[in-house]
Amino acid sequence: MTTNDFLVEILTEELPPKALLTLATSFHEQLIQGIRLAGLSFATSCFYATPRRLAVHIEALETQQEAQTIERKGPSLAAAYDKEGNPSKAALGFARSCGIDLSETTTTQTDKGEWLFYQTTAPGKTAFELLPALVEQALAHLPVPKVMSWGDSQHTFVRPVHHVLMMFGEKTVDATLFGLPATNTTYGHRFHHPEKISLKHPRDYRAALKNAHVIADFDERKTLIQQQIQTLAKKQKAKAVISDALLNEVTSIVEWPNALLGQFDQQLLQVPKEALTLAMESHQKSFSLTDTQGNLLPQFITVSNIESKEPKQVIHGNERVMAARLSDAEFFFETDKRIPLAERVEKLQAVIFQKQLGTLAEKVSRVTALTAAITEQMQGDVALAKRAGELSKADLVTDMVGEFPELQGVMGRYYAHNDNEPEEAALALDELYMPRFSGDQLPTSKTGQALALADRIDTLVGIFGINKPPTGSKDPFALRRAALGVLRIIIEKQLDLDLRELFALSAELYGDKIQHEHLIETCLTFCNDRLKHWSQEQGIPPSVFAAVAAKKIGKPYDIQQRLDAVNAFMQLPEATALAAANKRVHNILSKQGGAAINTVDFNLLEEDAEKILAEKLAEKTKSIAPLNYQDTLFALADLQQPIDRFFDDVMVMVDDEKIKHNRLALLGSVQRLFGRVADVSLLVK
Amino acid sequence: MIRGISRYNPPFSHDGDTALNETFDVKTFQGLILTLQDYWAKQGCALMQPLDLEVGAGTFHPATFLQAIGPEPWHAAFVQPCRRPTDGRYGENPNRIQHYYQFQVVLKPSPKDIQERYLGSLRALGIDPLVHDIRFVEDNWESPTLGAWGLGWEVWQDGMEISQFTYFQQVGGLPCKPITGEITYGLERLAMYIQNVDSIFDLVWAKTPSGTMTYGDIFLENEKEMSTYNFEHADVDFLLQQFNHLEAQCQKLIGLELPLPAYESLIKASNAFNLLDARHAISVTERQAYILRLRKLSKTVAQAYYNKREALAFPRLKPSCNETSS
Repeated sequence: MTTNDFLVEILTEELPPKALLTLATSFHEQLIQGIRLAGLSFATSCFYATPRRLAVHIEALETQQEAQTIERKGPSLAAAYDKEGNPSKAALGFARSCGIDLSETTTTQTDKGEWLFYQTTAPGKTAFELLPALVEQALAHLPVPKVMSWGDSQHTFVRPVHHVLMMFGEKTVDATLFGLPATNTTYGHRFHHPEKISLKHPRDYRAALKNAHVIADFDERKTLIQQQIQTLAKKQKAKAVISDALLNEVTSIVEWPNALLGQFDQQLLQVPKEALTLAMESHQKSFSLTDTQGNLLPQFITVSNIESKEPKQVIHGNERVMAARLSDAEFFFETDKRIPLAERVEKLQAVIFQKQLGTLAEKVSRVTALTAAITEQMQGDVALAKRAGELSKADLVTDMVGEFPELQGVMGRYYAHNDNEPEEAALALDELYMPRFSGDQLPTSKTGQALALADRIDTLVGIFGINKPPTGSKDPFALRRAALGVLRIIIEKQLDLDLRELFALSAELYGDKIQHEHLIETCLTFCNDRLKHWSQEQGIPPSVFAAVAAKKIGKPYDIQQRLDAVNAFMQLPEATALAAANKRVHNILSKQGGAAINTVDFNLLEEDAEKILAEKLAEKTKSIAPLNYQDTLFALADLQQPIDRFFDDVMVMVDDEKIKHNRLALLGSVQRLFGRVADVSLLVK
Repeated sequence: MIRGISRYNPPFSHDGDTALNETFDVKTFQGLILTLQDYWAKQGCALMQPLDLEVGAGTFHPATFLQAIGPEPWHAAFVQPCRRPTDGRYGENPNRIQHYYQFQVVLKPSPKDIQERYLGSLRALGIDPLVHDIRFVEDNWESPTLGAWGLGWEVWQDGMEISQFTYFQQVGGLPCKPITGEITYGLERLAMYIQNVDSIFDLVWAKTPSGTMTYGDIFLENEKEMSTYNFEHADVDFLLQQFNHLEAQCQKLIGLELPLPAYESLIKASNAFNLLDARHAISVTERQAYILRLRKLSKTVAQAYYNKREALAFPRLKPSCNETSS
């Protein structure tokens, strides 16, 4: 088997940094998948990604597909020759269509008879021929966030394409992509090496680009940037705050990284650190520095894309921009503090929450009432809850949040603190938004938990109440995230809250702004669907969820405890038999039109098996009363034998109506006992 | 678009640089403009003059908005004074003003080397990309009132945004074909950087026989008075009336197949809206409704303009016809 290296590079204008890694990995994956499907094997493969290039290198790619076996079946033997053995037109036609003489055909036997047959092998196609279409297909399947056109070209891509390199071994592949002929050349760094680079072999790519001031390998560049940042930070005896997301983004906007250290005025550290970090990280794509205690330092590290002839100028420029941005934040912070949050509440009357649902001021008053009600149930401080509720959206009309919307809640906390509001109310303004993303921390204070719940419940009920549920990938009000937030807070904080009750309360607060029919159950179903997803992620089998969900409970924490109990119960050796028995009970009872509520009459018991079961049931009914869900199920486990024996020995549907009903009542109490936790009959696989 | 004005302080001097342009003094505001005009004229752009109406951005100039519509080629460059009433700060903020200048370059179809040509203009201004860190940072543009969007970048120099670069994909709701490339320089920001000053008002506009004339000499009083007018005295009732009237007039003119005056009505309506916004006369809900009304007008105007050019058989597609556009 002969092999050769393959390299493709698409040179473009600057690609969107947050999409770069996905584009590059997907190009790589699509291409190797296509190559495998074409039946070509290869040794290894890797991708390269820079702001201006997407490339894939495949090592030791087979130069040719294996020979393909071609089998063709002709007319049946009976139709191929007449009695004298002369070939028919059909037989001659078959031979001609195969491009052979009739004498070269063979026959094949099937269960329907014998047929003319021809088998041959055709040489496989060469990789050289196949690659252009494979690359084109891979590019066509990239998850491009938004495609664009440029100039008067008919082509579309993420950004305009300038140059295409495609080599198989030392040869340039004969291909045209985006109207550009493939070459064995590329270009180096935009400023350091704008000249053309010719490659002799795909394996030279990485080194040739490095000579041209481009580090093509994403991970290599990322590691280098990280090292440069850490070295600079170390010199300052400081710690650089490096989030992976920012590091990836910065890696996606430079080809030749050079980290530089800048300073800003110490005075600006008075601004809340969240605002400083935001300006540094998301606006200026720079890394912040802290001392060993984690306090921000008046320094930052930016990563330039050139090895400047005068790095001081680049540093100075960045320092000026940073100073201006941070002074802006300081200015907003100082002016915002002049007006207390409480005075800003009125302004929310001019801000729309949702067209049909009214203003933010209206939302705030509903959320305040709901927060108070939840806090009461949690036995928290209702006055505190009301205060937090009233102030909850006031920071949205501050200049700082207007300029940095990501700081909603955080600024509320700072401003409330500045206004000498109660500490827990101030904290709650920030905790209202927790969890901000999947896996984020939860509110720690009771007031924060109540407020976070109330705000989300109000949104869920309101948006469902005007019938705008999420559809497919569209969830403009982030209801899925809201529901998950509600569930996480209630479950992880172990709150004994009933969503049915809270949804009803919230719906009542909306009055006639919303449609009330089936609303509460709709909201509950939506939440339970999220819970189902969530519990599956935690490894709880769907059958366990179904068994608990059948109880139609509105208390998420209660549901969670039942789920855990049933899940543990399922590990018991008796579980399978008990589930089956419960299913049998369920089937018998449902044929009788549901469970008979009659109590068991001990005098009517005849058989030993039913006497034993009845006694056991009576004993269990008493003993499990104080137990939690898991202990209950574990205590019920030893019912397995008596129940199984009952089914073996006792006939339920006897002619004697009295006895029959007594036995049905017995089964009814089995069902009720297990049913305290879940519908165990649904656990049958 | 360059939002507002130079919001963030420009950098420092670049004494090491030598201005590559011998003819104009780029260290004056007018020298900066002259250098850009000279450069882009040499690139084959027709130098347009500013539109004589109040606009919020250079994109509103017919030389951008209308010329981006339809198949006819177009290469132009021009300065456009812009007004953003809400950005006024009574001349008290060194970085924010309500009246400022953009320099626009519009190339249709966008040439393959548009980025290189842009970088050439920076070199003409004496900015060496091996000294200064020049980056193209993703920034996609959308104008809800113009029914337009495009993909492109902010151009950063040492971390500061100095230009905006956009490939128009849709204008007035119509898909662009061919694509127009738009480059917008924030002139004050660029000048503050080149002249190494911290306040817009300290910029040198020109050196005249009577001495140095600064930006502040010309515009500081204007900022004070116009901010007072925009925020305190602009007549709300009149503006509301004006908006409604202009909207009706725009629609009427479309009916008469007069897309050019219809477009002017749209521009004026848009300015009335901006002033109403500065007076806080429009609530949040209403605001969205006004934007939608403007967007609807934009779409109608764009379609009417296209139809008109089509009826004229797209005259500039003929290589023999060298006239400037209608």
